[in-house]
Amino acid sequence: MAVDCSIRIKNLSFGYNESPVLRNISLELQRAGFTSIVGPNGSGKSTLLKQISGILKPDQGSLEINGADMNAISKKDIARIMAVVPQNTALEFDFKVMDVVLMGRYPYVNRFKGETQKDREISIENMKYTNTYHLRDRSFNQLSGGERQRVILAQALAQQPKILLLDEPISHLDLQHQIEIMSLIKKLSIDQQLTVIAVLHDLNIAAAYSDYIVMMKDGALHHQGTPVEALTAENIQQVFNIDVEVEVSASTNKPYIYAITRNQIKKNNVRVHVICGGGSGSDVIPILHNSGFEVSAGVLSIGDLDWKISKDLDLKVAEDIPFTKISDEAYNYNKKLAMSADYVVVTDFYIGKANMRNLEIMLEPELAEKSILLLGSEEIHQRDITEGAAAELYSRITAKGFAKAVSREEMYHLLNKAGAENE
Amino acid sequence: MNKALKNYSILLILLACLAFAVVMAVGFGAVRIPAREFADVLFGKQTENSGILLQIRLPRVLLCLIIGAGLAAVGAVMQGIFKNPLVDSYTLGMSSGAALGAVISIVTGIGFSIGDISTTGVFAFIGAVVTLFFVYNLARNKNAVAVNSLLLAGVAVSYFLSAVISFLMLLNHDSINHIVFWTMGSLSLTSWSKMAMAYIVIAPSIIALMVFARELNIFALGDESAQYLGIDVEKLKKILLVICCIIVGVVVSVSGTIGFLGLVAPHIIRMLVGSDNRKVIPYSALLGAILLIASDTLGRTLIQPVEIPVGVMTSIMGGPFFIFLLRKQRQ
Repeated sequence: MAVDCSIRIKNLSFGYNESPVLRNISLELQRAGFTSIVGPNGSGKSTLLKQISGILKPDQGSLEINGADMNAISKKDIARIMAVVPQNTALEFDFKVMDVVLMGRYPYVNRFKGETQKDREISIENMKYTNTYHLRDRSFNQLSGGERQRVILAQALAQQPKILLLDEPISHLDLQHQIEIMSLIKKLSIDQQLTVIAVLHDLNIAAAYSDYIVMMKDGALHHQGTPVEALTAENIQQVFNIDVEVEVSASTNKPYIYAITRNQIKKNNVRVHVICGGGSGSDVIPILHNSGFEVSAGVLSIGDLDWKISKDLDLKVAEDIPFTKISDEAYNYNKKLAMSADYVVVTDFYIGKANMRNLEIMLEPELAEKSILLLGSEEIHQRDITEGAAAELYSRITAKGFAKAVSREEMYHLLNKAGAENE
Repeated sequence: MNKALKNYSILLILLACLAFAVVMAVGFGAVRIPAREFADVLFGKQTENSGILLQIRLPRVLLCLIIGAGLAAVGAVMQGIFKNPLVDSYTLGMSSGAALGAVISIVTGIGFSIGDISTTGVFAFIGAVVTLFFVYNLARNKNAVAVNSLLLAGVAVSYFLSAVISFLMLLNHDSINHIVFWTMGSLSLTSWSKMAMAYIVIAPSIIALMVFARELNIFALGDESAQYLGIDVEKLKKILLVICCIIVGVVVSVSGTIGFLGLVAPHIIRMLVGSDNRKVIPYSALLGAILLIASDTLGRTLIQPVEIPVGVMTSIMGGPFFIFLLRKQRQ
């Protein structure tokens, strides 16, 4: 039997001392299930929860529960429909766990008769459900954070609510207890057909447990929908102003969010053109890029590892079709990029007939004035698959001073020095 | 089973102690009256000392009983409301406010009396309410009331009001004895009618406070959580505080300011039975009665024929206890 419980918020606005906290919020939550409210700090998500729970009254707009206006329902009746689990509960005066759970029966208890056997039974049942029955005679304040939160959950369930509100219920807990509490709440939303509304900090926890996500920013609703619909990289960028990658699990259809850590790269305005290929530039290109150089690359075969890396970093690349001799077009673009650079680095790639022109370019008279740094000239024979032609070219280049043969370390050292001078 | 026995045993011990305290209190004094004679008088016999017993000692001891009970219950309830064991009518300045109200009614002659019952109690009540309102708003920052600020404001206001009372004393030499009585707390001017009035007001007030014990327990979860459970927290706080002010007003009007009782009694009871206000309020009331009867008896008899005002006695004992609580809380 499904006891559906609807919450309807219409054009709700609210502010503390004139400054608006919630702006014109309209939201409808129709059936049992797990809804998470997410958003950055100060987005008004906890305030929205306080509106739903009736602690705060809206300045404008209306809030209905099961079709009845919130203001028309007595506080005790609200407590029978809705229970709230706060962030963290500590008692100023210590009580036994059993007594704390029994407090949840307050909306049902007659002032003069006291708690009945039924109240006790309901409390005990919910303690068993939340795995706190064994703690019943312990003092509440001596429990761990996770145990306390389970006891408060048992108390909330003793209210026999249709709606359960949670205000960052796990933010003070360690990972194990976070999962424990969230799984329990998820189970509740299914077993007891509860309408659960939780304010959550962690997007991945929200994604994993929620049926529905409401995203807030600056007191307004931004996006809502299923986790897959709402938690897109674009929406997260808009609401949280962070770059993320979202991967949707094929088996569960739940999104998983990774933060992309983009280091703030300090540009130094020194241009370096890297002639590479076959992965020989896969270290050089990102390192130079991250050190702040303006990097370009060429001539690279489309699909090659170095090509991919350069494309990912949005660099200028002279590219050509793989396994064919470098075309004039690609060669000339490569030359153009090399000419506009302050330094040219030629890495230790394998040289075959197809990419011979990546070496020949060093002989161009127009590049005579450029500092060309040549890597790996010692073991050229191992990389030469042109039957000696490449090796011969190498020795000509180095002998005549077209390029300077250096090790990787020397290259980085030279370039970093140039970069530092230019800053 | 064992637990139930333990709870009952504490109640029984408290009741036994109270009975013992009453018997001892009526027995001690300038004239030593044995318990047997007291029993005879209670059963209507005329004895040598029946006049002293019935007209002087018994009303005084019974007044002590209800005042002690009232102050301790007020302490327990206010600690529940503000969720801090250092709060009571004395530390929040309510007692001083009530005393000032009483003094004003005397020096200005606004008050009138019917027999022994005067409107001084009403002025004391108003003084307590106004002071509490003032202290509360002084400590309030937007909607939050930090208990530290509340206590500081209470103590500061309390000093200020005491100074005003002293100043009024200087201006009104005629009624100085009368006023000293309010600042030190004394039960030497007891009569049956005063005692009766105290019972008529205080006893139902204590019962009214006990009715809200369950809500007070829930207050320990915090105001917000209490609201989630369906309690109109602000309204209930007002109701409870008004009842507290009524008790304090009547107590002060018949006995002056008596300090620390509301602090000591609930604390000891909580150590014995835990924090459940359904026990803490009535048990504290019983212990408060015992402690006040004991303090008054000691005050009357320690350095005869001089009578030490009961407020001085409770402060001598309660002050160190308050410091002990402060230190313990800091740890």
